[in-house]
Amino acid sequence: MNFVLVLPAMIAALALGIWVAAILDATCRSLVAGQGRMSLTAAAPLRAAASYMSRQRLTTEAPDRMNWFLSIASYLALAAIGLAMVPLGPNTAVIGISTSVVLWGACESLVVVVVFLHGWSPNSPLALIGAYRYVAIGLPVMLLSMFVLIAAALPARSLDLREIVTSQAGMWNVLRQPLGLPLFLFLGLSLTLRGPFDYADSADLAGGTSVEDSGADRAGWQVARLAMLVGFSAMAATVFLGGYLGPVLPGAVWLILKTLAVMAVVIALSHLLARMPVARMLGLIWKVLLPLSFVDLLWAGLAALP
Amino acid sequence: MSWISRLATQAPVPVFVAIGDDAPPQTARLALHTGLTLVDSPRAAAILLVAGTIPDALIPHLHRLHDQFPHPRASVLWQSSQPDLLPAAIVAANTVDIVSVLTETRDALLSGAHKTEPDILPDAPLNEWRRIGPHGQGGEGMMGGTPYGRPMAMTADDMRDGLKLDAYTADFGPFLPMFPPGLVLTLTLQGDVIQKVAVVHPPFDVDWNQGVSLLRLLGLPGLADRLLRNGLTASATQTRLIRWSGARAAIPPGLGRTHDGSDVRDRFDRLIADPANPKAPHIDGIHLTDLLVGLEWHEAMLVLNSFDTGALQRICANGGDGDDQRDTETIHASHVGHGS
Repeated sequence: MNFVLVLPAMIAALALGIWVAAILDATCRSLVAGQGRMSLTAAAPLRAAASYMSRQRLTTEAPDRMNWFLSIASYLALAAIGLAMVPLGPNTAVIGISTSVVLWGACESLVVVVVFLHGWSPNSPLALIGAYRYVAIGLPVMLLSMFVLIAAALPARSLDLREIVTSQAGMWNVLRQPLGLPLFLFLGLSLTLRGPFDYADSADLAGGTSVEDSGADRAGWQVARLAMLVGFSAMAATVFLGGYLGPVLPGAVWLILKTLAVMAVVIALSHLLARMPVARMLGLIWKVLLPLSFVDLLWAGLAALP
Repeated sequence: MSWISRLATQAPVPVFVAIGDDAPPQTARLALHTGLTLVDSPRAAAILLVAGTIPDALIPHLHRLHDQFPHPRASVLWQSSQPDLLPAAIVAANTVDIVSVLTETRDALLSGAHKTEPDILPDAPLNEWRRIGPHGQGGEGMMGGTPYGRPMAMTADDMRDGLKLDAYTADFGPFLPMFPPGLVLTLTLQGDVIQKVAVVHPPFDVDWNQGVSLLRLLGLPGLADRLLRNGLTASATQTRLIRWSGARAAIPPGLGRTHDGSDVRDRFDRLIADPANPKAPHIDGIHLTDLLVGLEWHEAMLVLNSFDTGALQRICANGGDGDDQRDTETIHASHVGHGS
């Protein structure tokens, strides 16, 4: 497929994904809250965005204006890069490189940097606490992700996402490496600042890194978070659920369905699982989740032996 | 009206609630109204709703809070006996449908029929430049002090690992959404670890659902809404969802332990299982310093929200370390607060 056609299609898919994610999120919140009457409409995300945009962009005293803006723009860009690496067919991806898993790993790590910048730039204590906390949690979560992604790459003997999808023609990685997807979902919660892994923008900090955001800045940050959810969900569907592979329907339709399924699970987890204090979560990650990710890697390595 | 403003009028009204001393009992349930979004930060709000009476000592905090709202902005005083509290505020009678007032105010703001409210305070530093220290800020070198009344971080011993990291002292409250309403504390933080605590103002005597607050702090706003909606009736579905969420396991054991051995977990269990009959913890002689010093921010918020108003007021009245109190009096005279 022509690159000129794929790129606009990807941008449209990202915009549509953000809209669907916002609807799913509000629906899930209502269901968990036991709200009997659903007043949600398809236009609700647009109205919320307009509500943000109708207000002034405030700043703080002595902020780092450039990095404040760059953190929001970069978060959105990283989500778009993640989505661009997802193969739509055997030889179709906007960013089709032989080391796409490494590039995704770099995107994950850069999310830690941009979230930190978002909390550091306003020159505000609650935002800064959110930034530092996110780095403390983000670093071991990235390690976990690296183990899981290398394990997923082993059967394909390649760091190319296109090869990883092809290697799942016989059996999806979610079955071949049952620990992989659950562990990767924790990364998704962390990358998208959601639920049990939202240490950056949480309620105990009155919004944390985004506490000082107003107007277009607030709208931009919320859109970027949802965009990252779309990018992550597509990546998880590709690495663990066979991506575009599937019978009867076109590959792109399968990819969309699987992406939506992952997105729904991440959103549900974010509303249903409690967030523990940082020190307790660090203990869980280092003592339980990281060893489990190493077991996942060992399992995949032994299975891949000739 | 622009198309963005027209679209914005169809969104829920973003409201920041400043809870006063005798706030209407239905204030908490505003969170359940689909026509409103109660936000955690004034930066995210269009309207400041002041519910109840604000004591004189806290009026400067309210004025600072007001000036942090983005334009166009408006404020509404609900069940207030202080019509002059905010110069341009709309005063809503006790019996009025407050949601309608808020919605109409937001719509009038967006259409331009209601003028945005100007700042109350001058856009100038709280204190004069005092020209103390080698760089004029009152600290040492390039750090510390309170230049223009703004507290700056300064290296100090860290109580956990002995590293000299930046200690930061400031007032927090009385309108921070994660604080019990009315509570103002002077906290010294290193990172997010609390090193010193002093009470500036005790919490108001208002009823609020600590179970709801704890669930929000645990990242479960949907379940918090469910608990708020069900009130004192614990449904089986609600209990099951909270159990499956791992909320109890997320709370560190022994956190906020009182003399009778009760900790945050115990108090949380009671609030969830039998919200109509909360057990009064034994808090004689306990000060906030005993409960909060050494805790990380999230843990400290869980501890604060695990007590009912009466218990927290008694804990605040118990007094604390004399040196801490003296330091606070000196510092407080020149501090800019947060959440105010």
